[in-house]
Amino acid sequence: MFKSLLLKGRTLCLLLCCIVSSLVVTAQTQHLNLTGKVIGADDKLAVVGASVRIKGTNTGAVTDVNGNFTLSVNVGNVLVVSYIGYQQQEVAVKSGAFLTITLAQTSSTLTEVVVTGYTTQLKKDISGAIATVNVTDAKKIPTTSSEQLLQGQASGVTVINSGAPGAASTVFIRGIANFGNTTPLYVIDGVQTGDMSLVNPSDIESISVLKDAGAAAIYGISGGNGVIVVTTKKGKAGKTTINYDGYYGTQEPKGGNVWNLMNPEQQSQLAFTAGDLATEKLYPGGPGTIPTYGYHGGTAAGTFGTAGVTSDPGILQYYKFDASNHGNDFLIQKFATGAGTDWFHSIFRAAPEQQHTITASGGSDKSTFLFALNYVNQQGTLVETYEKRYQARLNSTFSTLNNHVRFGENGFVTYKENNGGYNGTQQQEGGTISGTYRMMPIIPLRDVGGNYGGTYDVSGGEPLGNGSSPYASQLNQATNNAHFVYVQGNVFAEADIAKYFTARTSFGGQLYNQYYWNIGYIDYSSYEAHGGANTAGEHEQFNSNYNWTNTITYKETFGKHNIQVLAGYEQKAFQGRNLDATNQGYFSLDPNYVTIGAATAVNPPSSTIDQPTSTLSFFGRADYTYNDRYILAATIRRDGFSIFYPGHQWATFPSASLAWRISQEDFLKGVSWINDLKLRGSYGEAGNNGNIGGTNAYSTFKSNQGASYYGINGGLSSIQQGFYNDQIGNPNVTWETDKITDIGFDASLFNHLDITVDWYKKAVSGLLFPQDLPSTVGGANPPTVNIGDVQNKGWDISATYHGRANKDFSYSIGANITTYNSLILKESGSSNFFDTGGSRDLDIVRDQVGHPIGAFFGFQTAGIYQNASQVSSLPGYSGAAPGAFIYKDTDGDKKITSNDRTWLGNPNPDFTYGVNLNANYKRWDFSMVLYGSYGNQDFNYVKYWTDFYSTFQGGKSLDLYNKAAIVQGGVVTNPSATLPAASFSQAMGSSTVSSYYIESGSFLKCRVLQFGYTFDPTVLKRIGLDKVHIYAQATNLFTITKYSGLDPELVPSLSNQGGLGSARQSAAFGIDYGAYPNNQRQYIIGVNLTF
Amino acid sequence: MKKSYSKFIALGSLVVLTLTYSCKKLLNKEPVGVLQSATLASKAGVDGLLIGAYAMLDGYTNTGGTEWESSIDNWVYGGIASDDAYKGSNTTDQPTAAPLENHSVDPANEFLSEKWAACYNGIQRANDAIREIPLVKDGSLSTAYGAEVVAEAKFLRSVYHFELAKMWRSVPYVDETVTYAAGNFNVGNPGPIWDKIEADLKAAMTVLPKTQPNVGRANYYAAEALLAKCYMYDHQYTTAKPLLDDLINNGETSNGLKYALAAHYEDNFNAATKNGPESVFAVQMTVGDGSGGQNDNAGAVLNFPAGTYTGCCGFYQPSLSLANAFKVDANGLPMFQASTITPGGFVYNDTNLPNDHGYALNKAGAYTLGGVAGGTPFTPPSDALDSRIDWTLGRYGIPYLDWALCGGEQWSRGDITPYNPIKNAFYHSQQSSTTDNFGGWAASQGTADNYNLIRFADVILWRAECEVEANDLPAAQADVNMIRARAAIPAGFVHTFVDNSDPSKGFTNTPAANYKVGLYGVAGAPSFATLGQAAARQAVYIERQLEFGMEGHRFFDLQRYDALYGGPAGSGYMAGILNAHIKTNVAFLGTNPVLQGHTFTAGKNELWPIPLHQIDLEGGKLKQNPGYN
Repeated sequence: MFKSLLLKGRTLCLLLCCIVSSLVVTAQTQHLNLTGKVIGADDKLAVVGASVRIKGTNTGAVTDVNGNFTLSVNVGNVLVVSYIGYQQQEVAVKSGAFLTITLAQTSSTLTEVVVTGYTTQLKKDISGAIATVNVTDAKKIPTTSSEQLLQGQASGVTVINSGAPGAASTVFIRGIANFGNTTPLYVIDGVQTGDMSLVNPSDIESISVLKDAGAAAIYGISGGNGVIVVTTKKGKAGKTTINYDGYYGTQEPKGGNVWNLMNPEQQSQLAFTAGDLATEKLYPGGPGTIPTYGYHGGTAAGTFGTAGVTSDPGILQYYKFDASNHGNDFLIQKFATGAGTDWFHSIFRAAPEQQHTITASGGSDKSTFLFALNYVNQQGTLVETYEKRYQARLNSTFSTLNNHVRFGENGFVTYKENNGGYNGTQQQEGGTISGTYRMMPIIPLRDVGGNYGGTYDVSGGEPLGNGSSPYASQLNQATNNAHFVYVQGNVFAEADIAKYFTARTSFGGQLYNQYYWNIGYIDYSSYEAHGGANTAGEHEQFNSNYNWTNTITYKETFGKHNIQVLAGYEQKAFQGRNLDATNQGYFSLDPNYVTIGAATAVNPPSSTIDQPTSTLSFFGRADYTYNDRYILAATIRRDGFSIFYPGHQWATFPSASLAWRISQEDFLKGVSWINDLKLRGSYGEAGNNGNIGGTNAYSTFKSNQGASYYGINGGLSSIQQGFYNDQIGNPNVTWETDKITDIGFDASLFNHLDITVDWYKKAVSGLLFPQDLPSTVGGANPPTVNIGDVQNKGWDISATYHGRANKDFSYSIGANITTYNSLILKESGSSNFFDTGGSRDLDIVRDQVGHPIGAFFGFQTAGIYQNASQVSSLPGYSGAAPGAFIYKDTDGDKKITSNDRTWLGNPNPDFTYGVNLNANYKRWDFSMVLYGSYGNQDFNYVKYWTDFYSTFQGGKSLDLYNKAAIVQGGVVTNPSATLPAASFSQAMGSSTVSSYYIESGSFLKCRVLQFGYTFDPTVLKRIGLDKVHIYAQATNLFTITKYSGLDPELVPSLSNQGGLGSARQSAAFGIDYGAYPNNQRQYIIGVNLTF
Repeated sequence: MKKSYSKFIALGSLVVLTLTYSCKKLLNKEPVGVLQSATLASKAGVDGLLIGAYAMLDGYTNTGGTEWESSIDNWVYGGIASDDAYKGSNTTDQPTAAPLENHSVDPANEFLSEKWAACYNGIQRANDAIREIPLVKDGSLSTAYGAEVVAEAKFLRSVYHFELAKMWRSVPYVDETVTYAAGNFNVGNPGPIWDKIEADLKAAMTVLPKTQPNVGRANYYAAEALLAKCYMYDHQYTTAKPLLDDLINNGETSNGLKYALAAHYEDNFNAATKNGPESVFAVQMTVGDGSGGQNDNAGAVLNFPAGTYTGCCGFYQPSLSLANAFKVDANGLPMFQASTITPGGFVYNDTNLPNDHGYALNKAGAYTLGGVAGGTPFTPPSDALDSRIDWTLGRYGIPYLDWALCGGEQWSRGDITPYNPIKNAFYHSQQSSTTDNFGGWAASQGTADNYNLIRFADVILWRAECEVEANDLPAAQADVNMIRARAAIPAGFVHTFVDNSDPSKGFTNTPAANYKVGLYGVAGAPSFATLGQAAARQAVYIERQLEFGMEGHRFFDLQRYDALYGGPAGSGYMAGILNAHIKTNVAFLGTNPVLQGHTFTAGKNELWPIPLHQIDLEGGKLKQNPGYN
C-alpha cells in the first residue's frame, strides 16, 4: 500500500498523500439510528445541550430541550457524553434500544477538554500552566475588539483597553518582559496571528492561555510572549438551530468639568496675578474682565498683520473669510464668557452602539456547519469616530470512510469601516483630546461668521495659546475614512492513517487590505498653521501571511500507561506592500470630488515593500501518564527564521513538565474534601523575534527627496537624486530567549471550589533593541542587537466557587489575580540605561538595570521656596525663586542638576485582578464583572499644560487658581500652597519632569452589571422558539480611583515615545497625554434567541 | 505493523529531506525596497552617494532630529549664544534652547547632540562615497573621475569637521576607515584637528577644477577659501594671507563668475539673486521639489515674526545690542570704543536706539488697528544708522521687505524685544516661487534662500584681519572700506513704500531711515593709521559684526579673537563682550527671563560641552571640554 503511494508522492505533497492513502483503510459498516436521553443524576431532569459524541471522531449530536438526541452509530461505538458541570461519561453502544444516560454532577472542571498547542488535552492531564477563559463570563463585556474579553478573565494576562471604537488593546502575559513588542501569539483555529480583535465574540467556543514553557514552548520562537489559543464554534450533528445574539446600547461620556479647568474670568484674573504682560493685553478691561471680540486679519481692515482685541461692535463690518486665499481673511470671534467653552463636551457626546449576530448551525454525522453573520456599529463618544463591521463566518467539517478521514475549514470575511478608532491619534499632545485642555475656554467654538473659532486672533505674543481647535479637527474627520477587507481562516484535513496514528494538515492565514483617504483642511483657525495649501491623501496597504502546519499524532493506552506523541512540520511566510499619495492645492475639498489627480500641486506618491519573512519549524511533543497520577510531558521545537543572517537563523527550544495528581494516591483518597489535587512544575525555553526589522542583518542604502536629494544645480526647485546609508547591518544577531520556570497546583476542594496557583520566573536574555552607537558611525539607523536581560517573577492565582443554595438559587464567584515584578538585569550598551517617553522637557522614563521596565525618572519635589533666604540656603538651580518648586538634592552636591533626578514611580501594578459574580434565581440571572489594578503609578502629563502658568497658554486648572503660591514682596503669603506661583518664567521651577506629575493609577472598575431573564421553554415551544434570554446591562457603572485624569487605564503612547517610536512601545507606558477614556458608562439591552 | 513502521521511517526521512532542501530557499530573504553597496557600485551610484553627502549640508537628516537644532546657519550656536540675538518666542518654547543663550548649558542638552550627530552624519556620507569607489568594477568610473569624487567628498567632510571644530575644538576626526563593521568607531578626541582638516582640503585642491558643471559643487577656490578660514581659526595669518590674495585676485565661482561683492548687500539674502559672484560656497536650498519642504532653509523654520505673514514661531529675535551697534558717529563710522557706563562694553550700548519696546504694553486697552498704543504714536528714531541695520533686523515702521511696515514688538513673540529677524525672510511678491510649507505645519516657512557658508565679504575681511596683524594698516583699511563702500550705495538702502497701505505699489527712492555709511580715512574721518593697530583691529572686528549680523558667525568670531585660543584680542575678550551684552539687556529691557542672572564664564563657555551621551557611548575615549562635567 505504501509502496504505490511513494511512487505517486513525487508530485504531491507527501503528507497530504499520507492522508489520501488512508482513504483505503478498510471500514466496517453496521449502521443503526440510536435515540436516547441524557438526564442529570441530581435532579433527574433532562440535560439540555449535552454533547453526545462517538469516541475518536467528531461525529456527534447535541441534546434538545427535552434531553433527547438521535445519532447514527455502529454497534461497538463508544459514546462520549459531556456537559458543563457534569462528569464526562462513556457508554458503549450494544444495540439500537433507547438509551438513557445519567450524568453525575461534578464541581470540577478537570474533565474539561482544553485546546493546547497543536492538540487538545483533558484538563486533568495537563502539566503546564494553562488558563482557560470562561467564555460565557467574558462575553458579557460588549466589545468590538475581542482582546477586551480577556481583561480580568484569566490570571497572568494583563489587558489595557482604549475607549476608541475598534482599537486593539495592549495585551501582555506575565508582565512586560521586553522593550518592544510584548503581544502574545494568537492561534485562532490553528492560524497564527498577532491579534484577535476581529473575531466575533459570539463565534468563540474556547480561549486558552498558554503561559509557561511547558505549554507555550512548542511555539518556539513565536511563543516567548505567551500564546492565546482561540477556537471558534463548530456545528453539531442534529437539527439545525438558529441563534440570534444582539444588543443595543448607548455610551455616555464623563460629565462635568473633566479637566478641572478655570473659567475665562478666572484666567483673566490669573494673567494679572502672574504679571504676564503679554497675556494682559487680552484683557484690556483689567483683571477678571473679558473683552468682547478678538480678531486677526490681513490687509482688509488695516495694515498687514495687525490684530488685537476690542469691545467695539464696529469691528464686525470688517469680517471676511476667504476660503480660497486665507491671506485675505479678517476673522473675528466673540469671546465666550461665564463658564466658557466646554471643549471636552464639544467633541464628546452620548453614542449608540449595536451588535447583531445570527448563527445557523447543524449537521449530520458526516458533516457539520456553522454559519454566522455579524453586524457591528459602534459610534465613539468622540464625535466622528466609529467602527462599522460586517462579518460572515463559515465553519464546516466533513467526514468520510466511517469517519477515518475528516476535513473542513474555519474562516471569516470581514469588511469594516473605521474612523479615528485607533490609538495612534490620541495619547499625544497633538491629539484632539489633548486639544480639549490645550484650548482656553474663552475661545468660542465658532467665530462671528459661523466658521471655526480658534487661536488665530492675536499676534505679538500668543495670548490665546498655540492649540488647535479640537472641535474643528474632529468635525473635519467626517470626510476621512478607512476601509478594510480582512479574510482569515484555514482549511484542514486529517486522517487516521494507521492504528493509533492520525495525520493532519492545515493551511491557513490572512489576507489584509486597507484603503484610507484623508483630507487636510487649511487650519485657518489654528495659531501655527494659518494659511498654506489644503491636502488630501489616499493610502493602500495589502499584506498576507500563511501557516502550513502538518502533524502526525500517535496515541495509545496500554495498561496504566497512556502515551501521546505528536510530531510536526510547519512553515509560515509574510509579505506586503503599501502605497501612499498625498497632494495639495485642491480646488474643492468636497469628498466626492477629491482625487489625487485633482490637485494643483503634485507630490510623488510613495510605496514601500514590507520585508517578506518566513519561518520553518519542526516540533514534537510527548505526553506520558502513568496510572492517572504521574504526568510527564516534553516538547521540542526547532525554528528557522529568515530575518536572522544565515548561520544565526536556527534555534532549538525545549521544555519539560511534570505533574503529580497527589489526590489519586491512596493516602489522600480518604480525604473527602479534596476532590482533586495536582502539583505541577515545568521548565523550558521559548523565543521572541518580534522586535527586529527585516533588513537588520544588512547594511542598506536608500534615497529620499528630503534626506538625500540636493539642489546641486542651484535652482529654486530642481533637485538631484542622492543616496544615504539608511541602516547599518549586523549579521550576528539572533533571537530573544525566554527561560521560564513554573511551579503550581490545581485543586478542586469541597466539591465546589477550584483553585489554580502558579509561581513563575521568566528570564529573558538577548533582548533585541537598537544598539546605541556614537555618532561617529554616521547617521544610519543602528542595528538591532541582543542587548539586555530582563526577569519577571510573579504569581497567577485563580479561584472559582460554585454554590447552589437550593433548587432555585445557584451562584458562582470567580476571581483571579495577576502579579508580576519586572527587573532589568542587564543592558550591554556603554551605559546601563536608556531614557524614553517623550515630554516637552526631559524624558519621563528611564529603563535601567536594577529597575523595572518603564520606571518614571525625574526630580523629586520637596515643597515650595517660601522666601529669598530659603532660595539661598537650600540647594538651588538657575531660576530658583520664592514660589518655585524646591527639588531634592539627591546627590548632595548642594546644587540641583540633572544628576539629581531620581526614581519617581513604577507604572507596573503590584497586581491586577478580576472578579466574576454570577447568580441564578429561578429564571432570573445576575452577573457582575469587576476589574482592577493596584499599586501602579500614572504619570499625568496633562498637568504640564494645565497646572503651570509657565507652560503654553491654554486651559489652566483650578488648582493653579486655588493652590498656587502667591508671592508678595519676595515672600510666599500662603505657605500651604502646593503649586508653584503663577509666573511665566519658571520652567525649571515648575513644569519639568518631577514627582508632581505622579499619581496613583490604582483603580477598580465595575466593567459589567447585568440582569437577565430566561423565558419558560415550554411556553416558548408553542411559538416555535427554544430559548429566549433578555438582559439589561450597565458597563463601567463605577470606577473607584484616586486618579485625577479621565481614566487611570492608559494604553501606551506611540507618538510621544521620542526617537524610535513603536520599537520602544513597551519601554514607556502609564503616561497620560490625553487618552481616549475606557471608563465611560454604557447602558445596553440585549437578547439571545434560539430556535 | 513492523513493516509499515519501517515504511514510516522511510517516508519520514523523505519528508525531512525534501523540506530541508526547500528550507534554504524559503529562509533566504534579501532586503527589499533598499539598495546595498553592491547595487550602488557604478558611476551613477557613486554620484548619488556624493549628492547624499551634499544633502546633509542643510542639516535635514534621515534620523528624525529637528533641523533648527542642527541648522547649518548656526542661528543657535553662533547667533543667540552671542550678542546678535535672543532665543525669542515664549520663555518656555524650546526650553532647551534657553541655556544655550544664557551660557548655563548642560552637556546633556539635546540641541548639541543633534548638531554633533548631523555633522558626523555628513562626514560618514562623504566617506560612503569614498568607500564605494573601489567597489566599482563595471568600468563606468574612470580613475580621474573617481579622484574628483574623492576630492569633493574630502571638501564636504572638511566642512562638517570644521563645524565640529569651531563648536567643540577637540573632536574625533573620522575618515573613510572608520566603520561599524571595523569596530573602530570610538575615535576619541586627543586634540584640535585643524591639521587634519587642512590636509583634506589641500588634497582636495590638487584635484578640484576651477569651474564645475553644477554651481552647487565645490570648486578649487571654495576649498582654498575654507582652507584660509581654517588658518584664520588656527591663527596662522601669514599662511592664510597668500590664499586670500589669490582668492581676491583670481577667485571665481563654480559657474565661472569672478569673485566680487554683490551689487547690493541684500542680494545675499534673496533667493532670486542667489549664486551670484559673492557666493564662494553656499548651501543650496530648494522649494516645491516634492520633498515637503525638506530641502529648503528648514534650519531657520522657526525664525519668522510670529502671527503675521507666517503663523509661527518668533525665534531668533535680534538683540538690542545688535541694533545699537548700527548707530554711527558724525563720520558715519561705527562706535566701537570701550564704554564708560558698562565697563568692558561698548559706546554704542551707552544709550539705547529708541524703539517701540514698552509702548504697547503701557497702554493696555487702547490698541488700534494700526499698531502701537493709541495716544502715544511711536516714531522710528532719526538717529544716523548704518544702512545694513534694516536688512539685518525688522524694525518698527520700516518696510519689512515688500510686506508692510514692520510691526516691531507687535510682530515679535514673548514681548522681549522690538526687533524681528529678516535676513531669512522672503518677499511677498516671491512667496509662491521661493517658499514651501515645511513639515505640514509651517506654511511658507521654508525658503529657497541659500545659506552662504562663505561669501566674498568674508574673504575680504579675513584679509583685513591678516593685514592688521601684519601691521599693514593702510591695506587693512582699503579692504574694510571696500565692504563699507557697498553699504554706502544709496540704491542698496531700504526705501519707503509708495503707499504704506499697499506695498505692492513698490518703493520710492527715499531712504526709510537716516542712513549714513562713512569710509575710514576719507572726508575727515580717522584713518586706520591714525587709530593705531589696536583700534584698527577693533574696526575690522566691528565691521564683521555689522556685515555678518544674524548670519550665525558672531559667537565663533568672538571665540577666535580671544587670546584663550590664540587670538590677538586679549584674554577674556569674548567673556567681556558677552557679559556686557547681558548687562545692557538688563539695563534697557528690565527683566529678561532668559538672560537674567546669568553670566558668561571665561575659560569655559567659549566652547560648547561635548554631548554627554557621546562621551558615555565612547566609553572613556572622548574627553569633555574644560569647565564642564
